[in-house]
Amino acid sequence: MNASKASTPLRLAVVGHTNTGKTSLLRTLTRNPHFGEVYDSPGTTRHVEGARLRIDDHTAVELYDTPGMEDSMALLDYIDQLTEGGERLDGPDQIARFLDSPESQGRFEQEARVLRALMACDAGLYVIDTRDPVLAKHKDELVLLARCGHPLMPVLNFTHRPRQRLDEWRDAMARLGLHATVEFDTVAPALDGETQLYDKLSVLLDRHADLLQKLRDNGVEQRRQRRRDASRLIAELVVDIAAWRSISPTDTDAVEAATRFLRNTVREREHMCVQALLKRYNFDRTTFPAHQLPLQGERWEMDLFNPHALRQMGIQVTKGMAAGAMAGATVDALTAGISLGAATLLGAAAGGIWQGADKWGRRLVSRLKGFHEITVDDHVLRLLIVRQLALLDALERRGHAAQAPILLATDEPDSAAVPGPQDTDHTPVTDTAPDFRSAPLPDEVLAARAHPAWSALANDYTPSQRREQAVNALARVLEHAPAPPKTTLLSS
Amino acid sequence: MVSARFDDAARDGATPTFRQLWVAETVRLRESQWGPCADSAEVRDARHRGAGFAERLLLRAAALGEREGITAQIRQWAAVARLSLLLLAMGAVVGGALAAQAILGAPGSQVNLLMALTGLLGLHVITLLIWLVTLVLPSHDAHASLGELWLWLTRKLARGPMAGLVLRGLLGLLGRRGALAPALACISHGAWLLALGTMAVTLTGLLSARRYTFHWETTLLAPETVQTLTATLGWLPRQLGFAVPPDAIVRISDGLHRLPDTAHAQWSGWLIGCVVLYGVLPRALVWLGSAIVTRRRLAHLQLETGLPGFAELRDRLAPQAQSEGIDAPAPDALTPSTPAYASGKAPQAAAAFLGIEIPPDASWPPAGLAEAHDLGVVDTRAQRVQALNRLQATPPQRLLLVCDADQTPDRGTLMLIRELATLAAQTGVVALAAQGAGAVSRQATWVRFLTDGGLAPGQIFTDASAAGAWLQTQTAPGSGASHHTP
Repeated sequence: MNASKASTPLRLAVVGHTNTGKTSLLRTLTRNPHFGEVYDSPGTTRHVEGARLRIDDHTAVELYDTPGMEDSMALLDYIDQLTEGGERLDGPDQIARFLDSPESQGRFEQEARVLRALMACDAGLYVIDTRDPVLAKHKDELVLLARCGHPLMPVLNFTHRPRQRLDEWRDAMARLGLHATVEFDTVAPALDGETQLYDKLSVLLDRHADLLQKLRDNGVEQRRQRRRDASRLIAELVVDIAAWRSISPTDTDAVEAATRFLRNTVREREHMCVQALLKRYNFDRTTFPAHQLPLQGERWEMDLFNPHALRQMGIQVTKGMAAGAMAGATVDALTAGISLGAATLLGAAAGGIWQGADKWGRRLVSRLKGFHEITVDDHVLRLLIVRQLALLDALERRGHAAQAPILLATDEPDSAAVPGPQDTDHTPVTDTAPDFRSAPLPDEVLAARAHPAWSALANDYTPSQRREQAVNALARVLEHAPAPPKTTLLSS
Repeated sequence: MVSARFDDAARDGATPTFRQLWVAETVRLRESQWGPCADSAEVRDARHRGAGFAERLLLRAAALGEREGITAQIRQWAAVARLSLLLLAMGAVVGGALAAQAILGAPGSQVNLLMALTGLLGLHVITLLIWLVTLVLPSHDAHASLGELWLWLTRKLARGPMAGLVLRGLLGLLGRRGALAPALACISHGAWLLALGTMAVTLTGLLSARRYTFHWETTLLAPETVQTLTATLGWLPRQLGFAVPPDAIVRISDGLHRLPDTAHAQWSGWLIGCVVLYGVLPRALVWLGSAIVTRRRLAHLQLETGLPGFAELRDRLAPQAQSEGIDAPAPDALTPSTPAYASGKAPQAAAAFLGIEIPPDASWPPAGLAEAHDLGVVDTRAQRVQALNRLQATPPQRLLLVCDADQTPDRGTLMLIRELATLAAQTGVVALAAQGAGAVSRQATWVRFLTDGGLAPGQIFTDASAAGAWLQTQTAPGSGASHHTP
């Protein structure tokens, strides 16, 4: 590998007609929702703005967002006017002459910026809004851009909308000799959309193929790392909540108060996890507003403890489950506690004198006195896992150019769901993949239930190697879990 | 081939020290409890000085720790921990000495052998067995009582607003690697080792300087049992050179016979041998074992970059993308004038309409405009030139320009509209939205764009019927009725 080639970054100009999604493309590629401004109006970007993509602290690619080309037909006329008189200039010379002319700072100032940027770059990504018809002005634009002498790769945007004219555009590009096109919906790109983009670019620019390959591999690795980190966050959440218990005296009011306390604690913990996931994926906190903690009262529809929420997610609710104030909590008076108590009794006897009195003694004493332990239902744990996996899936598929908030829709017949992107690379759900809605909970979760000290919400939380192992194992399970089915996302 | 390990652990030049990791863990706990710290300066510095995500995390944590006083708190805590370790050691030594003295009793007294042995080694054996059992039990973490005592003592002595956080940081750091239990066990066994060692030394000293007599008694057990017991216990010390009483002496040591002088010396040897071989030696071995395990678990420490408080910082500390800034600010937009009829000729045709860049699959002509003269759709340069020439030749009274509201208006279209507007007495523009679901109507954008482009509000329509009505109106120039439908 040539070291000097590797150190020169590849420069790409993102060009195209106005309002086709150039800034959105940059937002999605740089994973920065605040790059440039994106509003649906003509000519919003009026300057050339650069961004760098890095691999290991070295700049690999420089991307330049340009203003839209708006007046190409007249510009072509002007260039013809500049070069008439029998001269035969080639493309780049014609553009150079235009850039020296007075109109490059006058009427065609915007187009001059675009052409100057493209001349300084190695190649151009020509972004197309596939909902627009193929018009003469688009062809003129391409003629102009091609005169800069650099390879152009058309990027077909908005391909998942109902009125897209994908075939027309492919035809038009083919007729102009641009056969390598790539589909990339900047708002909801395919999971391997970025990979495809770099792959096709490396075919077009084979001098930079090494660099593009590295960039592509980097992208894949980053995606895996994000998924690993996110699975770890969710695993910690599940372990914390499964192990958490709240103790209360036996009278009904106290039990209800303790259940409310349990539910609020669980909601807050879930909220923390959601915020951490959004931050890890570099989305704003406002992206998932349905999950913001209500300031007063309960947001019942999305609430973890609403039986309806469970049914919506396809989780079967048994008849014995408590409703209303006690929903979602298992009140453990004597039955389940015995099996847990046996192991802990043994531990208490073996574990040392004051240690036993301190930890399990309290629980034993409270059990003898008739206290209740309130833990979170299995159903709620399932719902938690399913929801977090659905959110993770939505975050993975969401481009940073998307502006509408994420909604985890359900399969209710009257929800106006836009069909999501078709992923050709999405592995089909096999029989062996766990469906957390009905399959038995993973062993690690059951282990967490038996170790109250594993919950970071507890006062006597002690980090231990076994907890660490359980969290890591659960994270691996979640990392390879498929997305929950029947969940479509609404994002425009 | 680019390394695929992006947690950079292998890439760091220096292995992080335990103190650095402790600071990082405490900062992480603090941020998870109280929200993120304001860290832009520290992040900038870390990105500049560090290479790789893990190193930058440590740099950031070090800077934040300094700033928030966590480093100082850790220093204080470590000092307190050393102090309480010292206190524990002193307690062990004193305890061992006192125990030895108390068990032997007043000088010249009769020492009951079995009671003495139980008193010296009983507690030790019980706690050691309990520890061994918890080591083997799968569902329970091994707990060492004196280690927990040390922790408790440190917690009580350490003061400061973040003492609890610092302790949790330490426990987290050790606990996750499975080094907490061995470390506490090491401390516990070390304390016991000191106690037993002091006990042995005190025993030796006391037995050298004072006169004691030994005997055994029993009510419940048979005398032979006691003899076998003492003989068995004495087997190992005898092998290792301690002076142990032979069976004959053992038999007559029941306190009812007079023993030769050497017997008491031999019994002392037996006692000291038992203390050393069943007390000091096992404890020394488990202490050594715990120390080795602790050292092994704490060797090659790396920062776990996947933990919840660290993973979210990846994009801040090792960003994959960075903005560079713009080339030059955009020039100010000029407000153009309203285009007016420029031709000298009087308008001849009555009304005409022209489509601009209408998609080929849209219905043409649009409903509501059929009565006027259809000039077709203009798209290519040739069509533009042709339309301009026709209008130049026969300028109409009223010209309606039909645009597709689904597309974004641009300057080229505006220039064309302005140019066409100079070729008719009155010009109107209608931005027609396509029918059907999924249409992206940009009508509001068109209205704004055209208004900014110099057209009067009375010239802009969004509805085909209103536009058609305007087109059909036969009015004198100057009385332009406004049909603008928002």
